Amino acid sequence: MTNAGHRITDAHECSQLNELKMDMCGLNMLAGWTTEGDTIMVEQMPIFGGYCGGIEETAICDVATTLASFALFSGNFHLDGPIHIRWGTTTSKETLQIAAHAAAAIDANTDLLLANQYYPMAGPCTEMCLIETAAQAISDTGSGRELLSGSAAAKGVVQDKTTGMEARIMGEAAKAAAGMKVSDLNEILAKIVPTYEANYTNAPAGKTFQECYDVLSVKPTAEYLQVYDNAVKALRDFGLDIKH
Amino acid sequence: MAATRPLTVCDVYDRFVKGKKVPESEWDYTVIPQNATKLKEKYKLKFGSETIPEDKQTMNNLFCAGLEMLVETGYYCQDLGRVMKVTEEEVWEGIKKTPTKLILGEGRDIARFYPRHGNSPVKPIIQGGPTGSPISEEVFVQVMQSYAQEGIVDDLVNGVFTSIEGKKAKTNTPYEIRATMAELRATKEARVRAGRPGLGV
Repeated sequence: MTNAGHRITDAHECSQLNELKMDMCGLNMLAGWTTEGDTIMVEQMPIFGGYCGGIEETAICDVATTLASFALFSGNFHLDGPIHIRWGTTTSKETLQIAAHAAAAIDANTDLLLANQYYPMAGPCTEMCLIETAAQAISDTGSGRELLSGSAAAKGVVQDKTTGMEARIMGEAAKAAAGMKVSDLNEILAKIVPTYEANYTNAPAGKTFQECYDVLSVKPTAEYLQVYDNAVKALRDFGLDIKH
Repeated sequence: MAATRPLTVCDVYDRFVKGKKVPESEWDYTVIPQNATKLKEKYKLKFGSETIPEDKQTMNNLFCAGLEMLVETGYYCQDLGRVMKVTEEEVWEGIKKTPTKLILGEGRDIARFYPRHGNSPVKPIIQGGPTGSPISEEVFVQVMQSYAQEGIVDDLVNGVFTSIEGKKAKTNTPYEIRATMAELRATKEARVRAGRPGLGV
């Protein structure tokens, strides 16, 4: 099987290190991929509250490392993911703001292809997880990103706690937000984000994939479908017109 | 001065080798925070309450600050402990060399990856998957299938095997490589099961 089944139109991923750092392992992988003409995604997740400091400083580093992905490392698209040093999430107010400002700044000045990744606090089969994911999708879509990648529910650290249903809400929220006025999206976000941030300290752990789906038929449970419907209703009440 | 050409990965390595030696702790705790703060003040950046910026001046100032951060600070190689420099012209040459359109996947299942600009009515590409989260080898195919079968999903991103043939998929061991290869095979099986064998990964 050529390239172990990884096609030239599949993405090879190389991660930068925090902050504005690379190692030889990354450079060596890039040397091979650029020679082969592979599609290359370079990732960097700046840490809000880490070496950069505050919101604006982290956004500055975010722009710098995004540009480095293309100018230094021959990336074809950049995968962002500002992460909150205390919460370990990408869905906090601060990290949404950093990602949105960095994306909008680069989008306004280049044609570069920009992606962002999702690390909500709550686990699958909870309204909080779905609403966190939707909030980030609204923010990423409104700030001009081209690709949304996720979602690593339960902060991406608990075994088997991710499912396709979280990607469904990510996509449906993005589809509903696309083309809306940015001021309207900001108003919606101002309503949504505080509702889940208030629960960060006691976020629901959610369920495993095996509890969320029939593993043989790979169909979500009736319970999860009900949770999904509840989350969609809540998002519609916030002003996001999710269809169907 | 105009750039000679966009930087290659080998150009970057050569500059790291010749770059100034800086202790990593100085880079992390002094160089990065001091330069970021200096540029925040120079460009008068204060985001306020909006999550998504609405004024063009803030966007342009942030872009200039980020570009200056890269050019003035340089970039650090952790293994060599050295800093390389890049000019603004070279950054722009690198941007110009980057494709502005990509195709992910193949056949009828491709996703067209084009610039959107602002809040375009065009939906972003939805790359569904666990994004590196740990997944049991027993359900890996089913987990990936749960994404591939979603109509709103245009492309996939893997989780990671926590074990391979019952052994822990530990970093820097042969099991890590075996697990990575198994992830690729399992993701292909998930795409086929979902009726979308061409989906990109």
